Amino acid sequence: GLLLAALLVSHMLLTKEGVTSLPICPNGSVNCQLSLEELFDRAVKLSHYIHFLSSEMFSEFDERYAQGRGFIAKAVNSCHTASLTTPEDKEQAQQIHHEDLLNLILGVLRSWNDPLIHLASEVQRIKEAPETILWKAVEIEEQNKRLLEGMEKIVGRVHSGEVENDIYTPWDGLPSLQLADEDSRLFAFYNLLHCLRRDSHKIDNYLKVLKCRLIHNNNC
Amino acid sequence: MKERFISSVQIMLQLALTTVGLTGQSYPGKPQIVRCRSQEKETFSCWWKPGSDGGLPNNYTLFYSKDSEEKIYECPDYLTSGPNSCYFDKNHTNPWTTYIITVTATNEIGSNSSDPQHVDVTSIVQPDAPVNLSLETNTSANLSYLWAKWSPPSLADASSNSHLYRYELRLKPEEKEEWETVSVGMQTHYEVSSLKAGVKYVVQVRCMLDLGEWSEWSSERSIQISKEQLPPEKPVIIKCRSPEKETFTCWWKPASDGGLLTKHTLFYSKEGEEKVYECPDYKTAGPNSCYFDKKHTSFWTIYNITVRATNEMGSNVSDPHYVDVTYIVQPDPPVNITLELKKSIKRKPYLVLTWSPPSLADVRSGWLTLEYELQLKPEEGEEWETIFVGQQTHCKMFSLNPGKRYIVQIHCKPDHHGLWSEWSPEMYIEIPTDFTVKDMVVWIIVGVLSSLICLIMSWIMIMKGYRMMAFILPPVPGPKIKGIDTHLLEAGKSEELLSALGCHGFPPTSDCEELLIEYLEVEDSEDQQLMPRHDTPSKNTKIMLKETDSDSGRGSCDSPSFLPVKCRESRSLPSVDGRAKDVRAKEKKGGKASWDTRCTASEQKTLPCESIKTCTWLAAQLPSNQAAMFAYHSTVEAFKITLNTTNVNNSPVLVGNEENRQSLYPIAETVYDVVEKVREMEYAKTDQTTVQVRQNEHSNKSPFLNPKLMDYVEVHKVRQDEKPTLLLKHKENSGKTKKCTVPGTSKEYTKVSTVVDHHILVLLPDQRSQNTPESQEPVAETSRNPQQSQAEKNTSYSTTTPSDSRRDASGSDYMDPSSFMPSFK
Repeated sequence: GLLLAALLVSHMLLTKEGVTSLPICPNGSVNCQLSLEELFDRAVKLSHYIHFLSSEMFSEFDERYAQGRGFIAKAVNSCHTASLTTPEDKEQAQQIHHEDLLNLILGVLRSWNDPLIHLASEVQRIKEAPETILWKAVEIEEQNKRLLEGMEKIVGRVHSGEVENDIYTPWDGLPSLQLADEDSRLFAFYNLLHCLRRDSHKIDNYLKVLKCRLIHNNNC
Repeated sequence: MKERFISSVQIMLQLALTTVGLTGQSYPGKPQIVRCRSQEKETFSCWWKPGSDGGLPNNYTLFYSKDSEEKIYECPDYLTSGPNSCYFDKNHTNPWTTYIITVTATNEIGSNSSDPQHVDVTSIVQPDAPVNLSLETNTSANLSYLWAKWSPPSLADASSNSHLYRYELRLKPEEKEEWETVSVGMQTHYEVSSLKAGVKYVVQVRCMLDLGEWSEWSSERSIQISKEQLPPEKPVIIKCRSPEKETFTCWWKPASDGGLLTKHTLFYSKEGEEKVYECPDYKTAGPNSCYFDKKHTSFWTIYNITVRATNEMGSNVSDPHYVDVTYIVQPDPPVNITLELKKSIKRKPYLVLTWSPPSLADVRSGWLTLEYELQLKPEEGEEWETIFVGQQTHCKMFSLNPGKRYIVQIHCKPDHHGLWSEWSPEMYIEIPTDFTVKDMVVWIIVGVLSSLICLIMSWIMIMKGYRMMAFILPPVPGPKIKGIDTHLLEAGKSEELLSALGCHGFPPTSDCEELLIEYLEVEDSEDQQLMPRHDTPSKNTKIMLKETDSDSGRGSCDSPSFLPVKCRESRSLPSVDGRAKDVRAKEKKGGKASWDTRCTASEQKTLPCESIKTCTWLAAQLPSNQAAMFAYHSTVEAFKITLNTTNVNNSPVLVGNEENRQSLYPIAETVYDVVEKVREMEYAKTDQTTVQVRQNEHSNKSPFLNPKLMDYVEVHKVRQDEKPTLLLKHKENSGKTKKCTVPGTSKEYTKVSTVVDHHILVLLPDQRSQNTPESQEPVAETSRNPQQSQAEKNTSYSTTTPSDSRRDASGSDYMDPSSFMPSFK
């Protein structure tokens, strides 16, 4: 019975897949692939989701652990991705070449791979960490990987020249997440979550700009 | 003349003037003593006001007398206190004396005296106002003080300066009317606190001796209290907001300036930069604000903003405000809101809302993504209904109440962070009613029409009730389950039930299926079922009669046209039978009667009855009589009856040959012939075998349905064999299969095949009645048959039990299926 159900489900999935992919793959097309628009749609949805999660997680953490500790003042200028020069306003975001912006997005995403993995594991050691935070940490890590894959796909599609693979900022914050002093440790988490919220929002915003620029010709 | 006249006039005028001038010179007017006053109780002065001088120099003289003396004195000193005054020095002043004073004015013409003035020195004491009032302000410990100093009034007599005065001080802000009076005491200085900074105060003092009156207020002195000399308080940054995610503005609440001119300065530093900048634009966003234009606005950067308030005394800095512009976006309300009513295909109106993002927001570039939320309510409603519409800039609203005026508002928010904008101005829309009225009309019409149709339909139904019923519900064979006794059901033995149904167990075998088919055919004769139950005749003869009856009944059912014939036959039958055996005839009486009635009944009722239902109905009625219960409708039985009749004729032979099976054969043959005839009559079929089979089937069915009727069961076996053998075996085997008759029959029903294989046909010729090959008769026969003696016990048992009580018998019959069940297992 279970097997049958599994078969049925997989069949349904397959057929569904087939149906959805139908319009994307025109008759006789050899390179059946998602359109750039579709790719961007998915990427934007994903980045939106990731930022939603990270934003929620930050708020939860802030509410629970950071009240009255003045973390915000200390958190200034301490994101590990700060060395990546990213557009800081609309004008910059519009002026930067889309390939460069895509590369930046890739760089930021890559830079978060490592810290997210550690975050997902270390966050479980926070005292009385609520399940919601734990879950989000894991979810963000997974979704970030997915987004990175998608972005690599987009970059591969958009880029004319070679793809720069070396944009990447190392993260050395693991020891700070394991500090014995609770206050310091909590601040390390706070800062990481704060940076995650910021960077995920950056990526989301850049992707939305890029989508409007590349797909809708700046007329979203 | 003229000149003389003129001159004379002049003279006249001059005269007149001179007379006037003469009359103007008169005695002086009455002088008036204005006041008398003592500065210090030891001296006093009096002042008078001169009356008219009468055109001549006057001389004033003051006279006074004391209440204790008659003597009149003149003023001792006209000079000290000034003109028109008289000063009484210490020597002339006695505080315990009342002075009566008059002033007399004298000129050449005469004199005039004032009214006398009574003066008590102690009551006219009033010092002069204090002098030399000076003011100073002093500030210490955030408070301003006013320091006032003055001197006591100066006395004419400088020698006597030892008088003690009480002082009062009054002050007021310069522009105000009301004074604030302070009692000072004996001091000649005073400190005023709780003054308002920046206000100019006016101060006066006065004094008083221990008796008498307050002096006049001294001359005014005024002083400006300086503004507060403190540094300003902390300013507070109220909020920062970006309306379009490109620029932002911060507002602060100014510190209290303390009367000094305070300047506010905003400084900010950006994350990642050491430098501190000052606000680029204080003006654009109004007072107490700082506007950051695009160049000065960065995102994903924390601004550390402080506001410094500065005055002469110093400065104070607000708490730092950390701002990431990303999170402070609050757009303006949406614009270009339009409300439009549209009609759907169903003519139901719905509301289409469209709007545009606020003009400042650049949503096209994707830099800013807005989400919208709208709220609406009926105008008189209290609660808003809020609808989140996401990024769309339009919305359709269905299911609005017609005839109501709705208020709609929209606001927007950036997709992730930020704040909802203000609500857009209220928009009104009235949902018209006419659409729905039309709708209602349509629905009402539809409803009326449909109910009309229903009515017509039902009327037709009633009119053609039976036909319709017959058409819609074609005659269906009665419930096959009747084969199952309710007792069985009550017993709750599922196995038995199944077996009764023909299925001997799970999974069903092919045999079972075959059986099932057969059962279908069998079911036509419902009555049989009923009959057998009540049958349980104590004697075979009874059964005989009953069977005949049943035959007729069945015949009627199957073919009404044939019924009469059968009836006649059956009628004729009894007569023959009766002749054959008296006993039976006796017993037949009841049966006859019932039979007759049934016949008539069948004639009357069954004739018209074309369907089984009527038959069943017949059957249902019949059970009242025992005989009636036996009314088998199967043509087979009818045929049997005829057969029986023939048997009766041959009865001697049969009886003689009871034990001899072979001898039976011819009889069987004859019977068969008869059967054939009957069959022909009934079915008019040329093929004998088939006919016979069918007949057998019928007979079989009845037994099957009612296990009690063992005879029929056996006949069923016969069916499968060849015709002649069937009959013969029937008789022969009756003895052999005695065992089977009761349980065996049931077996056969369950498994026809086995029976076929064995070729076992239980047909017991009725020795007594000869007519009926029924099982019960055979039982009786077997008891007599030496061959069947063994089986006799069983059969007898079966027979006897029925005889005891019908119900029991029926119960035993039902038992049969259960007994054979195991064999199939």
